[in-house]
Amino acid sequence: MKNPYIPKLAVIEDMREEAPGIRTFRLKLKEGGGLDFNPGQFIELTVFGYGEAPFSISSSPLLKDFFELTIRKIGTLTSALFKLNKGNTVGIRGPFGNGWPIEKMKGMNVLMVGGGIGIAPLKPVIEYIIANREDYNNVILLYGARTPSDIVFKKELEKWSKPIEIHLTVDIGDETWRGRTGVVTVLFDEIEVNPKETYAIQCGPPIMMHFVTKKLIELGFPEDRILFSLERLMKCGMGFCGHCMISGKFVCRDGPVFDYGQVKNFLEIAV
Amino acid sequence: MGERMDKAKTISKDAFKEFIGRLLENFQVIAPVRREGKVFYDLVSHPNEVMIEYKGHTLLPPKRFFFPEKEILFTYELVNDEVIIYDKCEELEGLKRVLIGARACDIKGLEYLDKVFIGEYHNPYYKVRRENTLIIGLTCNEPMDYCFCAHTGSGPRIESGYDLLLTDLGDYYLVDVGSEEGEKILKYNIDIFKDASEEDLQAKEKILSNVEARIREDPFPDLDKMYDSLIKNFNAELWEKYGERCLACGKCNFVCPTCRCFDIYDDPNLDLKSGRRIMVWDSCHFLSFTRVAGGLVFRKERPSRIKQRVYHKYCYSIDEIGSISCTGCGRCIDVCPASIDIREIVREVVKL
Repeated sequence: MKNPYIPKLAVIEDMREEAPGIRTFRLKLKEGGGLDFNPGQFIELTVFGYGEAPFSISSSPLLKDFFELTIRKIGTLTSALFKLNKGNTVGIRGPFGNGWPIEKMKGMNVLMVGGGIGIAPLKPVIEYIIANREDYNNVILLYGARTPSDIVFKKELEKWSKPIEIHLTVDIGDETWRGRTGVVTVLFDEIEVNPKETYAIQCGPPIMMHFVTKKLIELGFPEDRILFSLERLMKCGMGFCGHCMISGKFVCRDGPVFDYGQVKNFLEIAV
Repeated sequence: MGERMDKAKTISKDAFKEFIGRLLENFQVIAPVRREGKVFYDLVSHPNEVMIEYKGHTLLPPKRFFFPEKEILFTYELVNDEVIIYDKCEELEGLKRVLIGARACDIKGLEYLDKVFIGEYHNPYYKVRRENTLIIGLTCNEPMDYCFCAHTGSGPRIESGYDLLLTDLGDYYLVDVGSEEGEKILKYNIDIFKDASEEDLQAKEKILSNVEARIREDPFPDLDKMYDSLIKNFNAELWEKYGERCLACGKCNFVCPTCRCFDIYDDPNLDLKSGRRIMVWDSCHFLSFTRVAGGLVFRKERPSRIKQRVYHKYCYSIDEIGSISCTGCGRCIDVCPASIDIREIVREVVKL
């Protein structure tokens, strides 16, 4: 009987700074290779001595030799992780959760909205779409960060700007910033979407998703095509520990991706 | 296949001690014991320690012998760049235990936990303990004020979940057989059991009818209505009232036979090169329960946390495991320092 609480060991192959306090870790399982996962799924990462925490996978699902996590240093476990070096060993359980409906989205337009580090779970779907570009119609990414230096995946954003349409904004600009300022919803005036043929997928702080959802409803998006990736304290990943329960649903097992039709019927306010 | 022993037996109370002594030769025995005026389940080493004729329920349900308050999931050792993990679940192999004296509500509690922990995903530590523990249940002769199992469909009668079931008939116990394992154990020890008579069965029926009638004297809403009532009244004012009373101490969670929420953390040794991964009981009443990285807390106000417990028991569980997950044991009523009575909450919600 396999024990689902025992993490698989993985080696830090590489890491790169994305922005102040945000780093991407490239991991390879000791038993070999990467992970089979759907874009939008998450794993539980062990830093031995510090415990486990959930993180979205931020690399393309098509890469089979390794996988990546893009992580903000924010607490005890992430601070300990940032002190590790190449070659150090961490633990991985998962992948867990459902992920984005990449098959259902085929033949449709896709509008992605990300806020801050919330772009991490969108990156695998962006890369999957770009690799299968002819399967999807218009693809737009709206991305908001706090300041220009907080923008993560700068190189990737440049690369992605050819195959897909990208709009950026920052809350507070600096002397070099020529783009938009303001929260991510300001970008809606730059784009044209047909709400009847578009999936809107979003990940960011609850307050961002709240206002983006309002905007999408205003535009006439059907409830089942407004999707969120929700953040909760997923401790076990298997629907046991109770921390991530919202209104009887487990974010770890039933989510983290939910549509507005589901979220609207939650007894508790989710976004 | 041998002849099925579907006929109930009896055993005198003296002989039952002898029976426990024989069980101790082959099993670890968990049974109620009295300590400092309270009755607990614990491992016993002598039949005289067993305090089977306890009133009401034990302070804690037997849950902790299957899902302990602190479970070491594994230990780890860092050697250069390598990490070695020692799976503690493997140490549970070869376990052989008997739990004696579990009430109907507590047996039902384990059946609810089974539905959560043994499914598509599983908790292997729980599963191996469940599979290797025989249960000798004990029906109730008398309900306590806080008992409401008859209303939650979890007692005083019980049809499954035990290997043997005792009913106290004065100088002796009636013994019902609930499984092949239970039957086997009776056969090995048949010299100290007698066949039960029709009168014994009737005596048991009379006791249980009496217990049930006494619990039902205190009316309780129809559970079928509760689901809709709860969904309709999520924002009702009464939650504020109970939220104000609740001290958020988590006692109700820790004495509950079906509360199963837990946290996971690492406990490193002083050398910082080795340590233990621990699963520990947690409480939905704690502020920390929904805190995510960065400090955001999703259930900041106490009413939202008291609701989580009540809704999980009576509403969410129906979607999760197909039934409510309250066994009516009344422990949460018994221990609440703010005298919050979950029966009152339910009655109030259904009236709204």
